Amino acid sequence: MAEIKIFGYTDKLSVKQGEKIDFHVSADGTKTAKAQLVKLIHGDEHPDGPGYIDQEIDNKINGEWKVEKQFTQLGSFLKVKDPENKLAIDGDFTIFGYIYPSTPKTGHHQWIFSRWDNKTNEGYGIGINKDGYLELVVGDGKEVDYLISELPIVKKIWYFVAATFNYKTGEATLYQEGVLTRYNSLLGKVVPYDYRSHTKTTFRFKQKNNPNTPFIVSGAEDLHELRGRFISGTYAGKVDRHGVCSKVLSKEDLDKIRDGDLPENNSIVAYWDTTVGFSDNGINNTVIDIGPNKLNSEGHNHPVRAMTGWNWNGKNDNFRLAPKEYGGIDFHPDSITDAKWNITNSMIIPEDLKSGIYAIRLRSGPGTGLSEEYVVFFVRPKKPNSKLCFLVPTASYLAYANEKLSFEATIIQPMTGQPPTITDIDIEQYKNPEFGLSTYDSFADGAGVCFSSYKRPILNMRPKYRTSGMGITWQFPADLSIIGWLEHNKYEYDIITDEDLHKEGLDCVKPYNCLITGTHNEYYSEKMLNALEDFVSEGGRVFSSGANSYYWVVAFSDEQPWCMEVRKLEAGMRAWAAKPGEYYMQTTGEKGGLWRTRGRPPQKFAGVGFIAEGFDTAEKYRKMPDAWHRTVSWITEGVEGEIIGDHGLAYGGAAGVEIDRYDLSLGTPPHTKIIASSGGHSDNYVLVTEELLYAYAGLVGSLDYRIRADMTYFTAPNNGAVFSTGSIAFGQSLPSNNFNNSASTVMKNVIDAFIKDGKLPGGAWTLEEKQWK
Amino acid sequence: MLPEQSTEIDDKDEVYRKRYDKMQREFLKTLICDEIIEEHKNKPLGQHSEALERVLYYFRRAGMNDKYVVKCEEPFKKYKIMALSGVRGRSPRLVEDKIYETVQAAYHGLFLRRVQDLMEA
Repeated sequence: MAEIKIFGYTDKLSVKQGEKIDFHVSADGTKTAKAQLVKLIHGDEHPDGPGYIDQEIDNKINGEWKVEKQFTQLGSFLKVKDPENKLAIDGDFTIFGYIYPSTPKTGHHQWIFSRWDNKTNEGYGIGINKDGYLELVVGDGKEVDYLISELPIVKKIWYFVAATFNYKTGEATLYQEGVLTRYNSLLGKVVPYDYRSHTKTTFRFKQKNNPNTPFIVSGAEDLHELRGRFISGTYAGKVDRHGVCSKVLSKEDLDKIRDGDLPENNSIVAYWDTTVGFSDNGINNTVIDIGPNKLNSEGHNHPVRAMTGWNWNGKNDNFRLAPKEYGGIDFHPDSITDAKWNITNSMIIPEDLKSGIYAIRLRSGPGTGLSEEYVVFFVRPKKPNSKLCFLVPTASYLAYANEKLSFEATIIQPMTGQPPTITDIDIEQYKNPEFGLSTYDSFADGAGVCFSSYKRPILNMRPKYRTSGMGITWQFPADLSIIGWLEHNKYEYDIITDEDLHKEGLDCVKPYNCLITGTHNEYYSEKMLNALEDFVSEGGRVFSSGANSYYWVVAFSDEQPWCMEVRKLEAGMRAWAAKPGEYYMQTTGEKGGLWRTRGRPPQKFAGVGFIAEGFDTAEKYRKMPDAWHRTVSWITEGVEGEIIGDHGLAYGGAAGVEIDRYDLSLGTPPHTKIIASSGGHSDNYVLVTEELLYAYAGLVGSLDYRIRADMTYFTAPNNGAVFSTGSIAFGQSLPSNNFNNSASTVMKNVIDAFIKDGKLPGGAWTLEEKQWK
Repeated sequence: MLPEQSTEIDDKDEVYRKRYDKMQREFLKTLICDEIIEEHKNKPLGQHSEALERVLYYFRRAGMNDKYVVKCEEPFKKYKIMALSGVRGRSPRLVEDKIYETVQAAYHGLFLRRVQDLMEA
């Protein structure tokens, strides 16, 4: 009997009371699973804490669910909308386009421009064969003819390629010319390669056009007995402007197109101008056909746009300056941004289900490990009804979704100072490309992953999950330690997510007196950051629980809010860096990278910003002199002595993992008080790269005074305030000793003050220290 | 590396990396002693003596192919040692059946295997 495995996701992460949520589940080795709605209370099984805690909730959704094996389309591609089958050409044709193959020799055939059926061998198309040569293919369902170029394609070089076919004589030609410049390709002009190949032959067979076959860029139609129609043979690399003509273009005609001209108008069936559609606010997933038939194509699994094209000249660094140089669209056979599984079950969130973090727990067979799944979602109240709100950092969950660093990144062990601790779940995730990649991974062709989506199972957004590289909880399960603290202390609280904050802005948080952020809210859209800044300046209070917060610029589209875009640029602690000229996000037209490089360092909002990370140990805080200042002494009331947080589920200390520092030069509000600071961090704690101008020896915990977590507090207009812990490990320190500890005492003092209406303890700050009330 | 072996390698950076690696290994072998093994056993993670840190830096920076990792069979109770494939999508392999009752013991068991590999290389 096959091993039982269950995985699932929801159509939305955030759902209000009274709204519907869909569950998409795939299972191996079973046709049923036992479902139970649970409220998640605590997610870390570390023996120094209370362990995993949930609460089973009665609901008619509970019981046996029918489940099935579901299939996932991998790979990004464009599908042409051609309802009248204009591209089913029963006659002469020319296909042409610019290409920049990333990995031409893969051992598999890669289709670039095709109206081809891989199952029946019908149609026509050009691609790169398994040995890395350009190839024209024509088939009639019984026989197939091929024409191959003389020279293999060189990776990461821009080419103009074309194929012609004379229907009457059977003459086929293949045209391949390098169009590399000083800037556009991996190599320059000093390399004595010949990129040019012109081959010709006479085919015995002609294309047969199945009316149901779509024209695909990066892939070809296929059929599988169980899963039905899908796209196979996807391509790794970029394309730029491309098209199809209904006549045989001469070499001279093609030379002109190679140099940037359009084909003769009367011969065009389609000409996809990949540079059309840009605005200052980006470009969407529709590629425009400027030919007579308007056969636009649609992107699936997010082909990456706003990439440099064949004619990029190195002067313009973004598409807003020179859209015509940004016709590049990058495809990856391992991209997946929507699994598109069938709906397994749906649920209307009961009106009386308390706002909180919930999951459908699915079990089958042994009901542990791979046969147990928690499909997590976040329930908001229909109307806010608490003073306190926990802002779930779902954007940051997306960034890390299904990361594979322990298996692939040579840097992970030097970075974490330990060997990874993997589980069967990690291995399963690694074995199955269908779960997709995180923004910490690279595609197999080496490009960094810049889109991440929740329309797929996210196996590290689960209670009990321990991140393999670091051996601790991280992100979602770590945030449950804050939820556990709220529940233990019987606070009334609501839940909202980053997606809600992005969509609704200030309105979403205005009703609350106090917001608590997650342990690692690293990824922020402009709308999210604006909403928080306005919230505080209008009198809201933020308890910023974690560290390395408000760091990367990200973008969400209104049409596909489940998918996030990030571009990692020259600065910041990052798993990859965008290639030259590819710094601006297609989703919004904004420059990506760090908020710090766009004039909004985290210090400006939170008082502290990222300074170091280390994963072998954590430390405690020691009170700083400000802690006794009469305006803020209430924060540490009840903490005996100087030490705060000498305990925790993340390496035994509240100050660690990733840590933030006060820095007036980066905009820490000048009246900020440092309540406590950590210190004595190991040399595994290294200074963040954005602090570096020159690198020199000794930028580590035991040698650089800056490497510390600062716990800070400042007041804002209208009785607003921000308290920052400056440490990811703070959240995981709360459950120690059954939530009875010094970190917990500090948090309670602050939250109790922050949820009260009116003035804060200690009074408002005016211009001078003496004027503190 | 012999000149005829070097011609087989497209990426000449790799030729130097191998030379550097050999020099590193020869030096690091001189640092291996009972004291640093005992030091690691007592404290597998965190700040160590310079000798142990240098050995650990080397181990951690190794390529992904056959790199050891800890496999958790039961959280906080049962651990084993595996080696990664270094190939996307391919499972790690179990390198021994020995069960460690704590993750710290597994870290040390893994360290001992790395020391053995270094000394035999």
